[in-house]
Amino acid sequence: MSLELKGIRKAFRTNVAVDDVSLDVADGEIVVVFGPSGTGKTVLLRIAAGIHDVDAGQVLIDGRDVTTESPDARGLGMAFQNFALFPHMTAFDNVASALRARKATRTEIAEKVEAVGRLLKIDHVLSHYPRELSNGQKQRTALARALVAEPKVLLLDDPLRNVDAKLRYEMRLELPNILKRFGSAVLYVTQDYKEAMALGDRIALLLHGRIAQVAAPAQIYELPASVEVARLFGDPTINLVAVDPVADREEVAISIANTRLNLGKGLRHAVGLSCTLGVRPEAINLHAGPQPNSLPVEIIAETPLNEKTVVLTKAADGQELLASRPSGSSVRLANGRAYAAFDPAAALIFERDSGRRIERRAA
Amino acid sequence: MTAAAEPIAYRRPRARLGRRALPYLLSLPALLSCVLILIPFAVAVGYSLMRYRLNLPMLRGFIWFDNYRQFLTDPAFWNTVGISLLYTALAVLLELLLGLGIALLLRRPTRLNNFISILLLLPLMTAPALAALMWKLMTNPNFGILSYLVGLAGLTDFRWASAPSTALLTVVLVDIWVYTPFIMILLLAGLRSLPRQPFEAAALDGVPASFVFFRITLPMLMPYIITASLFRMLDAIQQFDIIYAMTQGGPGDRLMVFQVQAYLERFQYTNVGRSAALLMVLWLITNILSNIFIKNWLRLRERAHGHA
Amino acid sequence: MEHSSLVGKVLHGLALALVLAFFIFPILWILLMSFQDNETILRIPPSLFFEPTLANYAALISGKLKTAAGTLDIPFTHNLFNSVVLSAAAVVIALLLGVPAAYAFARFRFRLGEFIAFTLLSFRFAPPLLVLVPLLQIYQYIGLADTYIGIVWVYQLIALPLILWIVRGYFEDIDRDIEYAHRIVGHGWWNTFRKIAVPLAGPGIAAAGLLAFIFCWNNFVFALVLASADKQPVTVGALAFVTASGIQYGQIAAAIVLSVTPTLLLALYTQRYLVEGLSLGAVKG
Repeated sequence: MSLELKGIRKAFRTNVAVDDVSLDVADGEIVVVFGPSGTGKTVLLRIAAGIHDVDAGQVLIDGRDVTTESPDARGLGMAFQNFALFPHMTAFDNVASALRARKATRTEIAEKVEAVGRLLKIDHVLSHYPRELSNGQKQRTALARALVAEPKVLLLDDPLRNVDAKLRYEMRLELPNILKRFGSAVLYVTQDYKEAMALGDRIALLLHGRIAQVAAPAQIYELPASVEVARLFGDPTINLVAVDPVADREEVAISIANTRLNLGKGLRHAVGLSCTLGVRPEAINLHAGPQPNSLPVEIIAETPLNEKTVVLTKAADGQELLASRPSGSSVRLANGRAYAAFDPAAALIFERDSGRRIERRAA
Repeated sequence: MTAAAEPIAYRRPRARLGRRALPYLLSLPALLSCVLILIPFAVAVGYSLMRYRLNLPMLRGFIWFDNYRQFLTDPAFWNTVGISLLYTALAVLLELLLGLGIALLLRRPTRLNNFISILLLLPLMTAPALAALMWKLMTNPNFGILSYLVGLAGLTDFRWASAPSTALLTVVLVDIWVYTPFIMILLLAGLRSLPRQPFEAAALDGVPASFVFFRITLPMLMPYIITASLFRMLDAIQQFDIIYAMTQGGPGDRLMVFQVQAYLERFQYTNVGRSAALLMVLWLITNILSNIFIKNWLRLRERAHGHA
Repeated sequence: MEHSSLVGKVLHGLALALVLAFFIFPILWILLMSFQDNETILRIPPSLFFEPTLANYAALISGKLKTAAGTLDIPFTHNLFNSVVLSAAAVVIALLLGVPAAYAFARFRFRLGEFIAFTLLSFRFAPPLLVLVPLLQIYQYIGLADTYIGIVWVYQLIALPLILWIVRGYFEDIDRDIEYAHRIVGHGWWNTFRKIAVPLAGPGIAAAGLLAFIFCWNNFVFALVLASADKQPVTVGALAFVTASGIQYGQIAAAIVLSVTPTLLLALYTQRYLVEGLSLGAVKG
């Protein structure tokens, strides 16, 4: 493991920022720390960098305990949200500073800065001062500075936050290739779930200073550990309905607006518990006529969103459900009525009080 | 990354120790000068509790609070207190009114106004002792331009700092000349930093100018006014340069403010103990003032630098 | 203040003219006087038109002053030299002591730091004689009395709080992430201090240094107490001048002009930073 955080705890006065966080990042792996603002993502990153001391826990780089070492002794690269370029140095000198710290020779510096400049497409502005650069160029310069010394561990603190949407989109496509080329262990902080999904080999979900789940993007999306996690991923957000599962022969069923719906196998242990049903909008299909495992709904509104259309529907008891379908594949629905059918396998069941997901058990 | 790994290995122990000690190391020299100031201060406290006259070295010894007790019945001491307070009150009040007036005149940041405000800084950057000499020349009865001007107005025997009745006003005038720009420049910065909305709203509603001034401008400017006045009070009550350079405390004891009195006590009458006690009394006054001042000043400073 | 009416505009202009006259006229009058000989000065009414003479300056620089009683040797240039040496040395030392401390106070919140910062600040407002009187005795005891070193050290009372508090503000205004970024790429704190913090606070450090120089130069009481004639700066020297009998008035004026000019020029040069400096960082201009 290139970077290991073990049982990290950090409080500012009485305010606990991160608590008992353990996380590891392998060589060449990108782990995205994701969570809403104020959950301690940046603090965690700064602890890894040595900017903050820890109250408890360890930071290991390549197996070496660096917990008490100063930032310069850790051999890291880091890019900041606000770029943090040295305003009195040219872009070249900004990037070169990482090599100068490592006592590289002049020709070596020139070569490496040029190379990373070409890679990040800033080779034509290397002689400029930060104030003469566009936001996108600043951000690329900051990345170049972090990358140029080929650090073992790379820390990126929401580097795309302050660049415009187009650029963010481009970088989201470009970054994984660039990062993989250097083979560093990358810890990447963001509050944009799409960025997290696009870039992360794994996503570490941080909530209220604690790790809620660490998993591959697809897994976090399909099998979120809790209601809170489920709500953070997906746009439109997941449908959540309070339900009380009952036994239905070998399987389990619930009822919404007096319509009985089957949830499939493996959930018998949820019977008798107060639960929350979670269904992603794209797992709900609207049909003109009755289907097995469907409930009648009224269509309230339709909104196009990116390449899909979101449909707001309402069940007989007033429960609102969001469904989505690919745009252009419009199904004409008579007088605003439809049947919402969903795939039992895609249904998630959470314990209502703790919010924790109830696993489906085999057998 | 072997290149990065090598220096790390040898830097490690040093970084740990250095990191905790660093702020102390950096401020060590400043701490040293701090301590070196506190030594004479402690000695001064000691002196103030002693009978200590350079011309009577045999009599040197602790008399505890006798120096202070003697002040209570000493008319010279009360004269000093009275003159110092009067000087401070007159100077600061007039400077405040004048400074505020000028700041209002220069409020709009036009090029001309900025140029004038820079010119007005010149008196402030003149050494007060030298400023006093300038005014001494200007009020010279033989050729002083001011003596000539008041002569034209009919006051042929106006003797400025040499006459008991006008001495205080004359030195206050010099104080005003030197220090009004200080108040002006602070209030001007304050005025220009005020938010615009209340003034625009008042202008739209046709609120009369006097109402705007007393109900909007003045209250919003108050933090600056308080800080500037306290700053000036602290300096004015300790005024030495102007008065000493102009009249050495005279005529008679008309201008015997604290520090001039203490200076003469030490260097003319060689009474070290009494001089120190006098300065301790002054220090007590300034210390109270400076505590109030520092609180206000810190608040303004936080606002200027945008952090706690 | 908008003056829509003509009367208002005229009054405004008149008020400004009066203000300018009061604050600038004394300087101009002394300047004119310094180019006049005694007869011109004593002429009544004062004349605006006269034949300017450089004799006063020449006398000052040569150190031979003509008086009614004959020629007097007053080495005024030596006073000027003292002012330069004392003020410059005081500022250099204050910068060396103050800038690292200001950095420590800005970047690390520690109790001792606050104690130092506020103690030095409170002595900025304490009566100088309170420290000077015992210091004179101490200096006489340890042999620092009437030495440049002794006087320069006391000048720290003026320069150090000023530099500490102004520069601290400038350091605090630097985005910390910029320094962290420099540390993280592999530079030690000393390198970061030198290559990042000091250059970025550079204008503030320069302004604080120049302002401290002005205040040291303008100081009077420290040297009055601690310095004998051959260590005295211009502020004290000029006073001796006036009290010495029979010196020509034009020469006094010329001495004042020479003493005041350096600080006024520096003030004009640093004017952009003066507001912040004068308020010890509490008000930004």
